[in-house]
Amino acid sequence: MRKLCWGVFFTVLCCLISAGCAPKKIYYFGNYSSTLYSFEKNQTDELLLKHQQELETIITKSETKNLPVPPGIYAELGYINLKSNNSKEAIRLFQAESQLYPESKHLMDRLIESAESKNDQTSQ
Amino acid sequence: MYKYRYLILAILIAPLLSACGPKMTTKSTEFPMMYEERPASILILPPINESTAADAKEYYSTTIQEPLAYSGYYTFPYPITSEILKMEGIYDTELLVNLPLSKFKEYFGADAVLFTTIKKWDLCYIVIASTLTVSIDCDLKSTTSNQTLWKYTGTIVVDLSGGNGGGTLAGLVVKVVMAAVQTAVADYVPYARQANYRALSSMPYGKYHPQHNKDQKIQFVDQTPEKTKTK
Repeated sequence: MRKLCWGVFFTVLCCLISAGCAPKKIYYFGNYSSTLYSFEKNQTDELLLKHQQELETIITKSETKNLPVPPGIYAELGYINLKSNNSKEAIRLFQAESQLYPESKHLMDRLIESAESKNDQTSQ
Repeated sequence: MYKYRYLILAILIAPLLSACGPKMTTKSTEFPMMYEERPASILILPPINESTAADAKEYYSTTIQEPLAYSGYYTFPYPITSEILKMEGIYDTELLVNLPLSKFKEYFGADAVLFTTIKKWDLCYIVIASTLTVSIDCDLKSTTSNQTLWKYTGTIVVDLSGGNGGGTLAGLVVKVVMAAVQTAVADYVPYARQANYRALSSMPYGKYHPQHNKDQKIQFVDQTPEKTKTK
């Protein structure tokens, strides 16, 4: 009986240790997939705004959790800003993506270029 | 001798168990190119839809970016890249399968592109039961060598027929109605997410994952049929 107790104790201990060692999530994605999916189902302005707010929440929450902002989040928020003629904010966000993930630089430079030309058009 | 009986028993049973289970393989033996090329960035192409559901393509595409990022890769933002591809006249990924992929390196700076094929996204009625199946084929190809770096399929089958309605005729009718009601509101997307996680479990981790280049020995179920093996 005593042996059995030790066996159970040991198993529980092992479980606890391995659970404690489970890898920490490397990003905070919030409800990204579900707000994007809702928007894809019904493409309304209201649902786009919800998705945009979710992207903003992901950025602030990642900062408070001391995690890097997930790939593509700055860029996607920048793209929404670009479409609503907020080119300056778009450029700032594209630059943030490019700095955090050098892999994106090529595409971000292209997007910054198009945002700049749009900015020139609107300011003229 | 009596003391060691469990140990002996375990030694005798272990090979039996492993022989009965599915054939296993490791990440480095199955996908050596992933460790040679070490792609850092992945461009997700619009899914190829081979299922009968017309809306599967748009819905499925919202599920893949997040798990791929968690696997440690830089994923280009799909809502942006899919729009750019549309502007360039690329609506159907089917047409790209045998074309040189270097264009994606030039335009986006992507190290690899991910082809996804929706094989199944449907409901199957078997008189009184119904099952929902989502099956996704993934194929990661290099934009420098044009070769497949990683390939795996994730399938999820869900039984929607619910609890036991009993054996009487009334029970049967209830079951049919229940199945019909449940399938009308069936949402595929949560299952598509599970199928993704199943497929991605065999993928070597990318540079933003702490296990990057340390996971060569991790085992998973071998999906390659014996006959098609090149080695």
